[in-house]
Amino acid sequence: MASAYGVEHVVGAACKQPELTVTGYIQHHLTNLTLGRLPYESEVWTCNADSYVWDMPKVVPADTWTFAHGSSQAADMGFWALHVDSIGWSIFLGIVFITIFRFAIAKNTDTPTGLQNFVEMCVEFVNDNVQSIFTSAKNPLIGPLALTIMVWVFLMNLMDLVPVDFLPELAKAAGLEYFKVVPTTDPNITLGMALGVFILIIYYSITVKGLKNFVAELTLHPFGKWLMPVNFILEMVNFLAKPISLGLRLFGNLYAGEMIFILIALMLFFSSFAIGMMGFGLHLLWALFHILILALQSFIFMVLTIVYLAMAHETEDH
Amino acid sequence: MNINATLIAQALVFVVFVAICWKYVWPPIISIMEEREKRISDGLEAAKKADDSLEEAKLAFDKELDQAKSEAAGILEKANARASQIVGDASSKAEAEAEKIMTSASTTIENETNKAKEELRQQMSEIIIDTTQKILGDEISPEKHDAILKKAAEEL
Repeated sequence: MASAYGVEHVVGAACKQPELTVTGYIQHHLTNLTLGRLPYESEVWTCNADSYVWDMPKVVPADTWTFAHGSSQAADMGFWALHVDSIGWSIFLGIVFITIFRFAIAKNTDTPTGLQNFVEMCVEFVNDNVQSIFTSAKNPLIGPLALTIMVWVFLMNLMDLVPVDFLPELAKAAGLEYFKVVPTTDPNITLGMALGVFILIIYYSITVKGLKNFVAELTLHPFGKWLMPVNFILEMVNFLAKPISLGLRLFGNLYAGEMIFILIALMLFFSSFAIGMMGFGLHLLWALFHILILALQSFIFMVLTIVYLAMAHETEDH
Repeated sequence: MNINATLIAQALVFVVFVAICWKYVWPPIISIMEEREKRISDGLEAAKKADDSLEEAKLAFDKELDQAKSEAAGILEKANARASQIVGDASSKAEAEAEKIMTSASTTIENETNKAKEELRQQMSEIIIDTTQKILGDEISPEKHDAILKKAAEEL
């Protein structure tokens, strides 16, 4: 009987716990905990930990909400599936952000200390950036938007500094097969935020510039009204590149960083003691360097959001 | 790494958190910071004002001190003048008094002298008459020779 893994299993036959391989290790770290519906019936095989024989498989009927076992099942679930780990961490860290920033401020104190200083520093930093980019137009949404992006993205990036196996192993002990802890290494998360920004860009382009000016901007440049279709194609590429580059830049940086952490972790598990020790040093070095990337990428995401929205508020012809 | 509904979910979560931040997080922090900024700038301005008024007060103080000093000097001068005038007056008065006393004293002395002279003359003439009576007996009486005696007294 073939399972979704494509491996032969026989109930009652001898089995052993799957061996840890380099490929398996990396695959495991790159697979999300995916909740969705498979279009076909699947079986969940478990190797009995006491007797080391295959138990009766649990049959999951087609079109039932379940967690995917393996990346191919996750892919088979199609669009209507959810990365529970990514979205879970994303919501949790968002709540952390809101909680810290909402309750760190004491009323009417002239000598703020500790956390309040930090919070005010962040807000002032974001506000300065917004003020310097938004020179002519004023929009009360931009400040909170930029603050949310910067702090939230930074917190999500920061999860990258948690040792790569720590939380996934805890999750495994709790019964979750896959568990990715860095939401920003999931393109759904970064592109999801970019989509939010993109919708705001379109909204403000239409409400501030007016629909006519907005359409004109997309069709009358750079070649004038006689080459409208060409203009439109060129401008559309330019226009769509904004959210996609915004999301993919963050994803790419964090994904690469996470990948390096995984590879360094491999040095600890799959090689000699000496190389393992070297792995410790490298891990420390990369973590230190990565702090810079984490902060920088959250800052870049924020600044680009402000710049794009500022462009959406520009009314004069160029 | 599949693109799936997580993207839409994240976009919705994003909107929710931005909305929360916009409504409940950003305004209180900004208002507290602005309020403090205003209070500090007000405080600095007040300090500057206080400094200015201190400077003014110092100037006024110096001016009044100078005035008081010059007034005091004037008063002192006047007092000195008055004192010397009083002393001058007193000495001239005393001189005049002394002269007066001297004059009256010399007048008295003269009068006394004259009186004594008169008395002496009188006594002398009486003694002379007495002596003459004794010598001449009862023939010559003061009543009879009053004229002669008077004449003699005048000649003395």
